[in-house]
Amino acid sequence: MARKHREIGKAGWGYTAMTSVIGFIYFFPVLWIILTAFKTRTDALAVPPKLFFTPTLDNFTSVFYRASITTGSSQATDMGLYFFNSIFIAGTSVGLALIVGTLAAYAFSRFPLRGNDTYLFIILTTRMMPPIVVIIPIFLMFRLSGLAGTYWGIILLYTAFNIPFSVWLIKSFFDELNPEIEDAARMDGSTESRVFFGFCIPQILAGLSATFVFGLILTWNEFLFALLLTGVETRTVPVAMARTLGGEVGVDYGLLAAIVTLFLIPIFFVTFLLQNQLLRGVTFGTVKK
Amino acid sequence: MTIELKKLTKRFGTLTAVDSVDLTVGDGEVLCLLGPSGCGKTTTLRMVAGLELASEGEVYLGGKNVSDQAARDRNVAMSFQFYALYPSLTVAENLAFPLYGEGLSKTEVDARVARISNTLQLSGILNRKPGQLAEGEKQRVAVGRSIIRDPTCFLFDEPLSRLDVQLREEMRGEIKLVLQDLSRPTVIVTHDQLEALTMADRIAVMRDGKIEQVDTPHNVFQRPKNLFVAGFIGTPQMNLLPATLTASNGASAEFAITGGQTIKIEVDPRISELSPGTKVTLGVRPRNLEISNEPTPDGISSTIDIVEPMGAETLAHLSDGQHDLRLVTDWRVPLNEGDKVHTRFLPGTTHIFTADEQVMRTP
Amino acid sequence: MANTEKTRGGFGAWLLDPKRRGALLVTPAITILFVMNIFPLMWSFGLSFFNYKASSLKVPKFKGFNNYEKVLTDEKVWERFQTTAIIVSSSVIMQLIIGFLMAMLFAKVFPLRRIVLMLVLTPMMLSFVSVGVFFKLFYEPTFGIVSFVLNFFTEERFVLLGSPEGAILGIVIADAWMWSPFVMLLVLAGLVSIPKYLYEAAEIDRASKWRTFWTITFPYIKSLLLLAVLFRTIETFKLFDVVYIITDGGPGSSTETIAVFLYRTAFQFFKTSQSSALAYIVLFIVIVLTNLYLYSVNQRQEEVE
Repeated sequence: MARKHREIGKAGWGYTAMTSVIGFIYFFPVLWIILTAFKTRTDALAVPPKLFFTPTLDNFTSVFYRASITTGSSQATDMGLYFFNSIFIAGTSVGLALIVGTLAAYAFSRFPLRGNDTYLFIILTTRMMPPIVVIIPIFLMFRLSGLAGTYWGIILLYTAFNIPFSVWLIKSFFDELNPEIEDAARMDGSTESRVFFGFCIPQILAGLSATFVFGLILTWNEFLFALLLTGVETRTVPVAMARTLGGEVGVDYGLLAAIVTLFLIPIFFVTFLLQNQLLRGVTFGTVKK
Repeated sequence: MTIELKKLTKRFGTLTAVDSVDLTVGDGEVLCLLGPSGCGKTTTLRMVAGLELASEGEVYLGGKNVSDQAARDRNVAMSFQFYALYPSLTVAENLAFPLYGEGLSKTEVDARVARISNTLQLSGILNRKPGQLAEGEKQRVAVGRSIIRDPTCFLFDEPLSRLDVQLREEMRGEIKLVLQDLSRPTVIVTHDQLEALTMADRIAVMRDGKIEQVDTPHNVFQRPKNLFVAGFIGTPQMNLLPATLTASNGASAEFAITGGQTIKIEVDPRISELSPGTKVTLGVRPRNLEISNEPTPDGISSTIDIVEPMGAETLAHLSDGQHDLRLVTDWRVPLNEGDKVHTRFLPGTTHIFTADEQVMRTP
Repeated sequence: MANTEKTRGGFGAWLLDPKRRGALLVTPAITILFVMNIFPLMWSFGLSFFNYKASSLKVPKFKGFNNYEKVLTDEKVWERFQTTAIIVSSSVIMQLIIGFLMAMLFAKVFPLRRIVLMLVLTPMMLSFVSVGVFFKLFYEPTFGIVSFVLNFFTEERFVLLGSPEGAILGIVIADAWMWSPFVMLLVLAGLVSIPKYLYEAAEIDRASKWRTFWTITFPYIKSLLLLAVLFRTIETFKLFDVVYIITDGGPGSSTETIAVFLYRTAFQFFKTSQSSALAYIVLFIVIVLTNLYLYSVNQRQEEVE
């Protein structure tokens, strides 16, 4: 016997169809960018804009290989390096922030000092500052100390960016753990480090990965500081993208689209895997304190 | 106005939560769905409410087949285990909430709210929000909200489970009074047998989605239909001893209890249908055992393992070498751990269960 | 057996000894933060009181509050503030509306929900640069699809970025498009934390959809919406990348936000000290907003109880 109505909060395929249409419309600009990546130069700038065209992979190859004007043979571009840089820099800095932040969060959670709330507030405030405020001194600092253009310079900076958020979020995860289990382990004679690594960390592993993803999203696309503080060797993809703009022949949209599409893949993949965790991260753990 | 469930079944994927349940609740009757966790009682209740749709079978409210109707069209009232009080409304507003769909005038609404809050002693807290209430107060508001309407039936999901023991005792009595005034069928889901025994007109004991027995509290206690019900109802739990029938002659029968002892007790006449050598289970309640000074044919010898004073009564754990028995007796009876005693089965109090777990008894 | 026994282990135990433990664990984080954030902040604060120019080699002279005065009386600065305010408020309002509607949409569980959700989350994952460049293309009168689509309705080509209003609209749309999913996530997190049995009770009580929304849904997300507003406002205040790329502050200087202006002052005109002063004024505003933000976060704690 067919039952007509559904449980509260659930919906069926009709609903899926409707949301898909809406989602698709919202996604359209992204889709256009991806499509552009497969277009030839003329197609990309066709008037009127073309939805249907013969696709080409030229742009994707151009990302990595460029025909040299002088020798006529193709030469590897530095895009591979830039991709590596982005991954390396973002991954390392978010990872570092995670490690450092976890230690600090553990301290804030388990061994509260008198001015705990104040410290936490100050830490959070550093995140709230517009980059503009610190850009000048940091630029000077980097120039003077020779950190400009190095990996470590930008990595340290990004780590600093990610620390506040990581500390806050991870602290909320620690707060949720049951301290009695740890006490029991201590009674059994475990060392402090074993309590930490063997008990606490495994329990919040999911939360840690969420923090990692979130930090990654924020750091991956960072432009301003990367623009000013990375050199030729350490350049990240967002900066490289911007550089393709100031060309003689105007913007090569196809090429740019190809870069964007490729650059989107890692972050898209990671986000998809950890969707549910992201939901937590967004509210900065304020659903519970 | 009655509730009828016909072959009601609910499946979640491969799991059958409720298995072909047939049940009728009469007008003004209070029926308790009782059973361990996971037995399907809450799912059954939700199907009556319309919050779950039956996979098979039908629900009839007041003679009408409502199986396809959404909860809001069935005009039922339900009180939830977690109270489900609207956090942003005051107590008075919570109580009045269900009445908005009925098109009553403001004076009428206020009058009803006043009446209910008097009955449930909520007058003092009408302006508070759920976040500021104590557990007991929240529970009363939840009950109040469900009885303020005039629905086809009342449904309660574990109404007392979140209260502490003392509050529970108080509320049990109060709710029973309140329920007596209502003239609609009421279904209460609980896992606490004491609640069921005190509040229900009839109890439906459930296990694994099926109803094991539907009967008055008295019968469910005195005349359990099978091993499960016998073991579930009654605290301390009924003693269940595996035994073999050795001889029977009408009024009494002899059994060999595994471990060597034999016992000769009065039994239900139906036992004579069994042939000697049949394996059975003897069921005798702790309060139907007696310490006797000398060995008797209707008793066994045992050693006292643990003595637990319970105030007016004492609970003793006995062992006959193979089985543990629980015995409850008046506190004045001297019992010492380690003592060897004779335990007598009071006449006519032993239930005999055959290997298929059904009781052998004259209906 | 009190928990005052010395824990076993060597160096690790020394490090994590109760007296030192808290401080030590926190040190790495604080150090990095200090060097990278707080120290530069203090430096720039100091700079704002001198007349330092990054391009010249002259020893900077102490100027007291001179820089602050100059900045606050500069008409151009107030114009930029106004522009920024317009952009911020328009974008945030759009984000709120779109984000909220989308959250309501995704609150239900339906088949393929995860996949459709990803579609909607993607804009957030693009870099500002790419959004800037391509939206600029979309707005292009000849090549852009916006103009193309509108051509069906009007005869002429559509020039969005030519006028100040149009340019602002263009920026606002790009920004709102990117970040509405963020608001959606926030509200969604609130929506899914509403216990299902509240809705069931409302269903049993035969409450209308509107009443259900007002009584159950809205209170839960009220503070989250507020959070979204404050956070997005603070972030949009800092808006630089999108503006820089789509309009470069133009036409003229009609879309030059504070952030872009700051950038120019510091790196194109090399008025380092002045920009520091301005930056601190901006910072002050942001701190005030931050406090409001945190206050509302604390409110949320109490509310859901």
